[in-house]
Amino acid sequence: MTDATLAGSQPGRPPFYRDATVVKWFAQLVTLLVVLGVMFFLAREAGDNLSAKNIATDFDFLNINPGFGISEGIDTDPDTGGRALWVGMVNTLRMAAAGIVVATILGIIIGIARLSNNWMVNRAAGIYIEALRNIPVLVQILLYAAILGSAGRLLQDTGPIEGWVIRSAKGLALPRVFIADGFYQWAIWLLIGAAIGWFLRRQQVAKRDATGQITYPNIALLGSVLVFGIIGWFAHPVFGFFTSIFEALGDAYGKIPQGALQILLAVASLAIAAWWIKRFLDQRRTPAGLAKLTDDDYFRMIFAGLGGLLGALLFLVLWPGLSSWILNSGQDLLYLLSDKFGNGRTGQPIDAMKPTLVGEGTLWNYGPQGLTLSVGFAAVFLGVTLYTAAFIAEIVRGGINAVPKGQGEAAAAIGLSRMQSLRQVVLPQAFRVSLPPIGNQYLNLTKNTSLGIAVGYADVVNTGSTVLNQTGRPLSVIAIWMLFYLACSLTISVVVNWFNVRMKIVER
Amino acid sequence: MTNAFETIPMRVVAEEDLGKPDLPPEEPSLPPGEWLKKNLFSSVGNTILTILVGALLFWAFRGLLDFAFNNAERDWTSVAANMRLFLTFAYPVDQYVRVWVSLAILLSLGGFSFALTRNIGGITLRRIATWFFTTGALVLAATLLVKGPLERDADGVLIFNEENEAIRNAVVWADRSIWFIVAAALFAIAAAIWFGFGDRRRFIFIPTHYVLYAMFGAAVLSLFVVKYGHYGLREADGALVPVMEPDSLVARSTRIPWLVMWVVTGVAYFVGTLLRSRGWFKGLTGLSWLLAPPFIMWVILRDPSFDWAHVWSTDIPMFAAFAIGGGAILFWLSKPDLGEIGRIIAFGLGIVAFLSFLSGALGWMSMLQKARISFVLLAMFALVAHNFAGDRSARLRFVGAWIATIAIVHYFVTAINTPSTLQGIQSDTFLGGFLFTLFAAFVGLVVSFPLGAILALARTSKFPIFRILATTFIEVVRGIPFITVLFFFSIMLPLFLPEGMEVGEIAGVLIGLVLFSAAYMAENIRGGLQSIRRGQFEAADAIGLTPTQRTGLIVMPQALRVSIPPLVGQAISTYKETSLFAIIGIFDFLRIANNVIPNQSTPINFVGHKREGLLFVSLIYFIGSYAMSKYSQKLEKDLGVGTR
Amino acid sequence: MSISDATTAVNEELASRDDMIECVGVDKWYGDFQALKGVTATIKEREVVVVLGPSGSGKSTWIRCINRLEQHQGGQIIVDGVELTNDVRNIEKIRSEVGMVFQQFNLFPHLTVIDNVTLAPKWVRKMPKDEAEDKAMELLTQMGIPEQAQKFPGQLSGGQQQRVAIARALAMEPRVMLFDEPTSALDPEMIKEVLDVMKDLANSGMTMIVVTHEMGFAREVADRIIFMESGEIVEVGTPEHFFTNPTEDRTKLFLSQIL
Repeated sequence: MTDATLAGSQPGRPPFYRDATVVKWFAQLVTLLVVLGVMFFLAREAGDNLSAKNIATDFDFLNINPGFGISEGIDTDPDTGGRALWVGMVNTLRMAAAGIVVATILGIIIGIARLSNNWMVNRAAGIYIEALRNIPVLVQILLYAAILGSAGRLLQDTGPIEGWVIRSAKGLALPRVFIADGFYQWAIWLLIGAAIGWFLRRQQVAKRDATGQITYPNIALLGSVLVFGIIGWFAHPVFGFFTSIFEALGDAYGKIPQGALQILLAVASLAIAAWWIKRFLDQRRTPAGLAKLTDDDYFRMIFAGLGGLLGALLFLVLWPGLSSWILNSGQDLLYLLSDKFGNGRTGQPIDAMKPTLVGEGTLWNYGPQGLTLSVGFAAVFLGVTLYTAAFIAEIVRGGINAVPKGQGEAAAAIGLSRMQSLRQVVLPQAFRVSLPPIGNQYLNLTKNTSLGIAVGYADVVNTGSTVLNQTGRPLSVIAIWMLFYLACSLTISVVVNWFNVRMKIVER
Repeated sequence: MTNAFETIPMRVVAEEDLGKPDLPPEEPSLPPGEWLKKNLFSSVGNTILTILVGALLFWAFRGLLDFAFNNAERDWTSVAANMRLFLTFAYPVDQYVRVWVSLAILLSLGGFSFALTRNIGGITLRRIATWFFTTGALVLAATLLVKGPLERDADGVLIFNEENEAIRNAVVWADRSIWFIVAAALFAIAAAIWFGFGDRRRFIFIPTHYVLYAMFGAAVLSLFVVKYGHYGLREADGALVPVMEPDSLVARSTRIPWLVMWVVTGVAYFVGTLLRSRGWFKGLTGLSWLLAPPFIMWVILRDPSFDWAHVWSTDIPMFAAFAIGGGAILFWLSKPDLGEIGRIIAFGLGIVAFLSFLSGALGWMSMLQKARISFVLLAMFALVAHNFAGDRSARLRFVGAWIATIAIVHYFVTAINTPSTLQGIQSDTFLGGFLFTLFAAFVGLVVSFPLGAILALARTSKFPIFRILATTFIEVVRGIPFITVLFFFSIMLPLFLPEGMEVGEIAGVLIGLVLFSAAYMAENIRGGLQSIRRGQFEAADAIGLTPTQRTGLIVMPQALRVSIPPLVGQAISTYKETSLFAIIGIFDFLRIANNVIPNQSTPINFVGHKREGLLFVSLIYFIGSYAMSKYSQKLEKDLGVGTR
Repeated sequence: MSISDATTAVNEELASRDDMIECVGVDKWYGDFQALKGVTATIKEREVVVVLGPSGSGKSTWIRCINRLEQHQGGQIIVDGVELTNDVRNIEKIRSEVGMVFQQFNLFPHLTVIDNVTLAPKWVRKMPKDEAEDKAMELLTQMGIPEQAQKFPGQLSGGQQQRVAIARALAMEPRVMLFDEPTSALDPEMIKEVLDVMKDLANSGMTMIVVTHEMGFAREVADRIIFMESGEIVEVGTPEHFFTNPTEDRTKLFLSQIL
């Protein structure tokens, strides 16, 4: 190695247009700018067009009487637009929850049936899967609605059990169980019971591990919840004093000045960014000092820093309304809780009501008189459930097929029966493979409930489109839809991922 | 490493190279008694299960048949008489030849594509015999199970006789003799194949393509034999009178074109087999698939009436300017060893393209849409120009590709912005019915595919900003239901566009469909991209390929091969998703069944007949997506996905 | 002639040649792990260098830095007078002058053998198709597998695939060839056919850096041996020096473990 050879080549930076790092980041930034530019341009156009056509984009309608009723749900006569959308959201969630449970059970049964040795069972499952998954779910929903809608055309009776079930062209009404006065106080009792039960359970497990004695940890947990539940059923007014606590909290919360909250949030946002950057740098620290950082490393830190700054800017300047919204809604929530724990609430925690028939052969509305299954609900429920079950069945079948043959043989070799081997060995392994795609199906099911609009089921899209037409705020309503569904999707994927991670750890 | 055809699929191979598929081992066919015992009654529990499920199947089958055909309220003339509405909505009847030509183009392309894929896989005579046997058994079962028919009055209208259930249950078997004969004929064919061909010859293998073509032919020829019924409208005394002849052949104007379609498909397949060894044929077919949908929609079906004065004064000079000017720039840019100056120029062109959009938006300059699009295309060509550097002929080929592209794009943009010659068709709303469903699915797939590929590349890129942008788009779109996307694009899109850049409602929702399915497609392609080992990237880098070449020559060909089965799955989904157009008021296939026919009171009263139409729609959707899913299973087997 | 005399002679002879690759204080980190710690070495023209060392010692990382499959973060790498910097032009130039052969062959499974070999000449060197194919056939003949030209990589044995990979790298007429454990993924009976090809290549005067565990090859073919551990070059010397009289303790330990 001589200096002469080194001098022959010119070290140092190349011209910027040939520098790979510069070109790389330049291309990205240009793309980002183009995307932002296009969005800006579209937003500008939209702004102009909206004002030209007198279409507002505000969210005031959330607090204004929407002027329409909803056929079914927790509130059939909402007093604000927000309440109407909330009813729709609850209906969507109700449908999704019911659909997910039933579709899972049905799907697993059919998936296992598809692998049965019994020719008849196997073929029946095959026909089900092929028929249901190859017809669009909307067509199925419309078909079910057409069939159900006409089936009840002539029926206006109250059978089969006098006074408890009402059938009509609009649907089926059942007795409804609902949360009554004392529920929230009672819930405190249940929570205490659960906490004590959890403690007992741990103790029992510890005892079993230490001494080898047979103990009953789960029974201890259930028992504790049950005992406290029973006591609480009668003693729940004890917790009536919570009302004043929440009221005081609400009063105190309301006194926070908006500026203070804004500053607090801005500082928090900056602090989180700073903490993230510090943690990142700590990861890059070696005994010999800080490792050399690549441009991607710098990007991450800059990105985090910009995120923090943007957050701070958002809270302080761009959207001060957010802070006041947090203040107001937080106070509202506390006052609401205070009301729920009201001292006057001494009734039983849970109550039930028979459905009532109002008017000539019509269920007046779908309020607290009874749990009603409208034709729309039934059609959407059947549609999404049967459709998704077909997909879940295929996933379950694939999952079981993915378990190596040797597992079943090993189970047989240690003397397990076919059912035992399926339950104890094959299914748990198949479940692990199937979980992510099944999670996807849950997402699809939730999204498919939006097809309720085709048969008049009052889900969030249906109520939203009514609100949209009544108030002429398409942009706002579409934004709410998107946020709602994104939240649902996120929740489902977080839950599924959590299971997934848990099971992977168990595996190792 | 042993069998080449498992690791290297999707290649045009002469049939003689393929080797004959091995004869399946002679299955030891159990005697019927033992088969039943083994598969149905192996234990007490199994016997009970068999009986229960058998009863369930019986009940469901009979119920379905009764629901579909014999329920007092079912009137299938509502479907038969509205077939034209179902298929093409309000397309002018005197211009039907355009529909047939479109179909012929699609079928020819189908024939070419089939000729390009390997004609292996298929069925044995043994399987065909089983098919005939099963069909015969189904026909027999249906004949035995269905309740008695309804009476018609003198006008051919069904008599609703609810009280007559008992009469309906007492079947007059003689009335059904035709169906017994059909079943017997099917059994006879099955037996002839089964016993007429010796043991070994029963395994004679008939490749898939021939089976499919024979099935198509059988369906077409049945139009000339089976009396499906003739429905329509005839003009008499200045008024439209319904034609209802349930016991005659379908109209000649339907029979003959279908026969032509069948012949055209066969000819295309034959031509394809002659040409498939030519290198250019595969590319040309692929390009035709890309160009066919816009060509059919805007040129054949819509027949633009060009304003020739304007064409000569504006359109042609503009085309010439871009073709010559752009061609010159590109010829220069593809000079070997041009280095980074070329890239700087290309980037400058990109800025021009971007500004040309912005300028229109900000009102600086009112430029024609065509110019904007051309600038974008020119910038894209310029950015990849250095990959096509080479000798003079290579560079001229590159310029030729540019001129061809610009010609096609200019032609289409002009055609779209020109009124139609067809009476009463001034916008794109004439599209409807199954024609539209097919068209939408097609556009949704073909256009979203390249978009999905770009998104997938961006999401797997090592450039963080690209990754963030692509991931955000994909996850947001996948998180929301398609119906909200449709609402957005039907209500909101017009608001987002500047004046003079209008798209019709149909084009708007098609954009929605394309973006929606692109997000899903991106995920499928990403799966394929992730299955490619790092070594492939490194090897491509090590031999000096540029990133563009690496992607186009090494990464994408391998990734797409892996993602074909999920992409077919996505095709099925898109096909089914098109049904949602019915909700936002587009007269697609489903809306006609659900909203149009049940409200039809003239010339025939079909009010309330919703279920027949819905069942028909279900059947058509089922056939399409079942066929595709079978195809995807076959592909998955042929490609040996998962064996690599 | 004593070993040290031989070493001196070799060194003198090498000193008279031009530098092909120069590495000065090359550093490389993966996150907080330092894979290369100031690697400094000079490879002369027509020299064959074998890099030895335990796994994880940074051998592969080093030669992958030489054609920029990995980006070094400190120091200098100069190939044939061109420094590897962020300059895209230099990266392109070096990539086309340095051929690389991988442990896992990394042939393109969707292309035939002949297409694998002609791909880079056609697309990077802009060579006409016929010329590229003639050249590829010549190389395949040299590798002893001309009859496999129309097959796909999946149809070949491991040894044949690795020879195709060498032909693919040679098709670009590189001035340096890098071998990253070329025989480690091969069945024992196929190792020889690949090593024979490499020996021929070395005898033809190609500059080569070979990361390998084949001690026989190192002893027979190498001009010099570089021993690396923990991202550092521990010892450099002729095969005689290295195998019979290593100076460093770590080298001795390594040799005692593998020999």
